[in-house]
Amino acid sequence: MKFSRESKIENNIPTASMADIAFLLLIFFMVTTIFKLEDGLTVSLPRAETAAKQKRERIMRVWIDAGGYISIQDKLVRVHQVRDIMTNALSENPLLIVAFNADHRVPAGVVHEVMEQLKEANAVRVSFTADPERAGGRR
Amino acid sequence: MSDIAFLLLIFFLVSTIFALEQGIPLVLPGKTSSNVKVKRKDILVVEAHANGAIVVDKQVVPIANLRGLIERRIAETEKLIVVVESHPDSDYGLMVDILDELRLANARRISLKTMKL
Repeated sequence: MKFSRESKIENNIPTASMADIAFLLLIFFMVTTIFKLEDGLTVSLPRAETAAKQKRERIMRVWIDAGGYISIQDKLVRVHQVRDIMTNALSENPLLIVAFNADHRVPAGVVHEVMEQLKEANAVRVSFTADPERAGGRR
Repeated sequence: MSDIAFLLLIFFLVSTIFALEQGIPLVLPGKTSSNVKVKRKDILVVEAHANGAIVVDKQVVPIANLRGLIERRIAETEKLIVVVESHPDSDYGLMVDILDELRLANARRISLKTMKL
């Protein structure tokens, strides 16, 4: 008895279109990705030559625009609310740095009021965000 | 084709600069920190007025001269504490300018204060 031979049909997966599919996926994800941006306020930062880099992951931004509006974590807040927000944030991240993204025209009194709140919340590490190149502010 | 695509991909990977956080760091006195007594002669008050003037020792100092002045004072008094006293209506930018000059002059002991009206 003779067995029939196995058929010689090769079972290949066509890989010619592999690169096309990969690029299609790449482009699809590029187009659909939305980076989560923090909507702060529009500020024109002060200028400072000695501005040093700060660790991003430790930073919590406090936005103060020229009109004296304060925004923290996408929310407009009043000065007296800052203390509780910072107390909560500090309990999550004790090494928190509070970065003041304040407009250079904002009255210093507003910044000082926020700083008083920070002192009460024991958020002692602050950073005054400044731009080493921007012409805003001085001279 | 794919060579070009990868070339572009690598080019943008390398050339992308993420927004950096740059700022003047400062540590505030916290709620728990105790009051420390300092000698009066160790203190230098730099006043920032609402009209943009900087006053040191009752004299108006242009911002360009501030750095040299602070450097001289630090050379005289090693433990100099610079108190930046800003008027509530003065520009925040002026305060940052002064802090910048202080850092350029290597002043490490800095205190922030609001002017009592």
